[in-house]
Amino acid sequence: MTVSAAPAEALLAESQPRSRRRLRGSSEARAYGLATITAVYLLWALVPVAITVLFSFNSGRSRGVWQGFSLRWYTWDPTGSVLNDESIRTALTHTVLLAVLTTAIAVPIGVLFALALDRWRGRLPSGANFLALITFVMPEIALAIGLLFMVTYLATPFGLGTWAQVIGLVTFQLAYPIVICRARLLTIGAHYEEAARDLGASALGAIRRVTLPMLFPAILVSVILVFADVLDDFVIVRYLSSDAATETTSMRIYQTARAAPTPALNAMATIILVVSTVVIVLGWLAYRRWAARQGDAAVIKSLAGNL
Amino acid sequence: MGDRSTRLLWPVLGLPAMVWIALFFLVPLYVVFCVAFGTVDPVFRSPVPTWNPLQWQFDQVEVVWDRLFGPDNFYLPAVLRTFAYIAIAVSACLLISFPVAYFTARFAGKYRGLVLALLIAPFWISYMMRMLAWINLLQPDGLVNAIITLGGTIPLEVNWLSGKPYVVVMGLIYGYVPYMLLPLFAALDRISPSLLEAARDLGASGFDLFRRVILPMSVPGIVAGSMLVALPMMGDYFTSDLLSKSPNTAMIGNLINLSIATPGQSGQAGALLLVVLLVMLVPMVLYTRSNARAEVRS
Amino acid sequence: MAPSPRRPISRRRMLQASALALPGAWALAACAREQPLGGPTSAASAVTAPSGATSAAPSPASIPIASPSNPVKWPINPGNEPIASGLEPEANATLRVYNYPDYLDKAVIKDFEKEYAEYGAKVEYSTFNDYPEALTKIRSGSIPYDVTFMTYSSIGRLVYGDLIRPLNHDYIPNISDVWDEFKDPWYDLGWQYTVPYVIYTTGIGWRSDLIGVTIGDWPNPYDVFWDAKYAGKIAVLDDHREVIGMTILRDGGTDVNTGDPVALGRTRDAMLEMLSASQPRVTITGYTDIPEGVLALSQCWSGDMVTGQYYMPEGVDPTVLRFWSPPDGRGLIGNDFMVNLKGGQNPVLAHHFINFMVGKDVSLKNFSWVGYQPPLKALTPESMVADGYVPKNLASAVIKPEWFGVGYPILELPPAVEAEYQAIWQQFKAGA
Repeated sequence: MTVSAAPAEALLAESQPRSRRRLRGSSEARAYGLATITAVYLLWALVPVAITVLFSFNSGRSRGVWQGFSLRWYTWDPTGSVLNDESIRTALTHTVLLAVLTTAIAVPIGVLFALALDRWRGRLPSGANFLALITFVMPEIALAIGLLFMVTYLATPFGLGTWAQVIGLVTFQLAYPIVICRARLLTIGAHYEEAARDLGASALGAIRRVTLPMLFPAILVSVILVFADVLDDFVIVRYLSSDAATETTSMRIYQTARAAPTPALNAMATIILVVSTVVIVLGWLAYRRWAARQGDAAVIKSLAGNL
Repeated sequence: MGDRSTRLLWPVLGLPAMVWIALFFLVPLYVVFCVAFGTVDPVFRSPVPTWNPLQWQFDQVEVVWDRLFGPDNFYLPAVLRTFAYIAIAVSACLLISFPVAYFTARFAGKYRGLVLALLIAPFWISYMMRMLAWINLLQPDGLVNAIITLGGTIPLEVNWLSGKPYVVVMGLIYGYVPYMLLPLFAALDRISPSLLEAARDLGASGFDLFRRVILPMSVPGIVAGSMLVALPMMGDYFTSDLLSKSPNTAMIGNLINLSIATPGQSGQAGALLLVVLLVMLVPMVLYTRSNARAEVRS
Repeated sequence: MAPSPRRPISRRRMLQASALALPGAWALAACAREQPLGGPTSAASAVTAPSGATSAAPSPASIPIASPSNPVKWPINPGNEPIASGLEPEANATLRVYNYPDYLDKAVIKDFEKEYAEYGAKVEYSTFNDYPEALTKIRSGSIPYDVTFMTYSSIGRLVYGDLIRPLNHDYIPNISDVWDEFKDPWYDLGWQYTVPYVIYTTGIGWRSDLIGVTIGDWPNPYDVFWDAKYAGKIAVLDDHREVIGMTILRDGGTDVNTGDPVALGRTRDAMLEMLSASQPRVTITGYTDIPEGVLALSQCWSGDMVTGQYYMPEGVDPTVLRFWSPPDGRGLIGNDFMVNLKGGQNPVLAHHFINFMVGKDVSLKNFSWVGYQPPLKALTPESMVADGYVPKNLASAVIKPEWFGVGYPILELPPAVEAEYQAIWQQFKAGA
């Protein structure tokens, strides 16, 4: 009787504090070592970008020699500043436009598809899901060239330019909302919806009144990820662009980084960085408000797990 | 009646995405086949796609095949170079990511949120901006040269941006390492601390612990991270373009990007792309399926 | 691992596959885009005869190749007559200009918009990296560019592809400001389609403080690109014709448009040798890379170093820039011209723009920014240096009119030969 599970439990209970103490000595050194590596990594990862931001405020033309603080490349340089160089302004507005349009299309159809996948079993939906996931790991250049060829050789109702870019981006980004919302749907489970049905809600009503609100954090994360990712996109956007009006900030960096850039290029990149930061912070605040009401943090975890 | 409409509801919800994928993923892919297996306009040397698979010609694929493995195999060095760059970059990403992810998962403590936020930061800083950052640092009068020459006093100035393979590889590592970090973090974060303690109590030394517990349990993260890093590099041309511009650092992506804009070569670009996709098919499918399984498990 | 594409697929599998694929393929073929080639051929004929044998397409042999010894008067395709005289410029139009980057002064564009402000004219400047890319994009017809800047190596395809519009000379009185030979150039007798932009030679540019020798004193200055001493510091132009042409000249040849397989084989080998010897970068940005010191030396066009003085970093003396091209004029020489693209939506404004650009004052203003010399009567080699358009250290970048008699222009090639050149370029760009 006494020789049952109890000794093992006692052993565990007893050994835990001891082992913790023992662990602390050697693992503290290890933790410091790892902390140092992490710090060095973070410096390496972020300082170059910080310097790029810094030099957007350089008062001279150089991107390597500091010549004093000024807003010259943002505002007052008569030809080269973001404010006065129309092509930079166009690139900025076009980039944001693409991000808005792509998010507005990709997230809704992705969320609906995730809802459908949750219930609809069969080869067709799982095949489509598989294809959507493939686009996720396929080199972007493959999708870009496919669409470029399609627009060039088929009489598509849209030509190269904004719509071709949006279509390419939506195809490429579709996997985000699908993956994230599916993970969330799996953790929610079917019982809430079933309860709603039992109380007399129609299927659509149950989705609208019960499932969608519970999906909110997943949708939010999808919106943020898609939006931020489109701001960064280069390959699809470049292959499917037409003229200067459909140039994005990433294309401009690619074209002028090795030609004759001024700190205005840094300024432009900084502005895009600010835009995406603002979107992420807003999203995070919205998420916090939601989570405070719901007390739920599973989505972030499921997101990290699915990346 | 109600049941039938409910059954119909799900396909209707799924329809937009499925139509989208068919129209803008499958059709473009098919057009690539039609171009790669098509002919070439005699005057402009632009591709003339062959829509009917029964009439597909294999000339362009043969050209690409010859350039890869035939007597005229000048694609091969670039292909081998690409694989070498990717191998080095993936290993380096892993070496960097493992300690960082492990620290964040196990030891970051109250700074965990902050460290995680900083690790995710590069995701919303555009790739191009991060390359621009290095171009600025590595240019002749950039900060790196200023530091190693101690402000111009020692004549050690290096021309970093003139076709140095290691600069390109560094760029790749810098650009892609976040994609390794996050899956690795997720995998390491799943290892429960009590498991490690149990192993330790059973007498596992630090190294044993790593080799027999941590490493095996982080394999999914390592595999996922490696895929996320390696697969996009197969199509990367801009890193080499921005940091080198020398043919001697050209990668497969550069070959494709070059031929796509050249009349008479875009069919070959399509064919080369198909070869690349074929080689990548197995890892892509494996990754996607393991991801789907993981999803079901969670 | 990839299976050989040559392996025959079994007949049954093939039939199975095609039974599935055929309806889809038919549907796709039905909406295949009509190639702009040969102009308004009917969509139906393009579908029923996908082999490319449409009636309007000229056989490759029938496109004449213009050269100084074979001047060509291009046909005017039916339905592509010049616009009528005396038309008003299109109101509130966006004129789409397609050109190399940094190859036209932005201030000049602003001036044009100001001068045509009453019509609400706006100019949108889009850029290409090389002519093949430009030709591909123009031909795809997806962007309605109005004006582009080209050279001889594409003119036949521009005309026979029905991509450009003949000019109405009434709109271009400023032609009188340029050298008379451009009113009847060998590449376009009667200047039916083209108006000259700038002239240039291809040579070598460098910074004398980074390259301690005077390249021009060498018996064969082109040898610098095969000199391992300069590895990692030099570049050649990102232009297949220029690099192949330069290699031919370096090996003592003069036919930079050769179709001789033996000569081309030798050229290819020499280019690969260059790759391993000096590991050049391949770029057209020498005009900023040399001033900034990223490159010490580069193959470049004559205007590149002249404009390069404006890209000098602070603290470096701009007089260290040097340019060499064969002083007897026996080098690569050429001129770019403006054409009015048929796909453009603003033909009248395009004529006005071309006229604006070719006029003396605008031309000079543009010259002082791009560094490329316009063929203006008002300019002489001496006045260009004296008036400060070209600094003294770059006097060698000034082109003498007589060079057009002895230099080697890069001509259009028969399609098969062009394919050879492209293949060599691919191999070069794939690296060694």
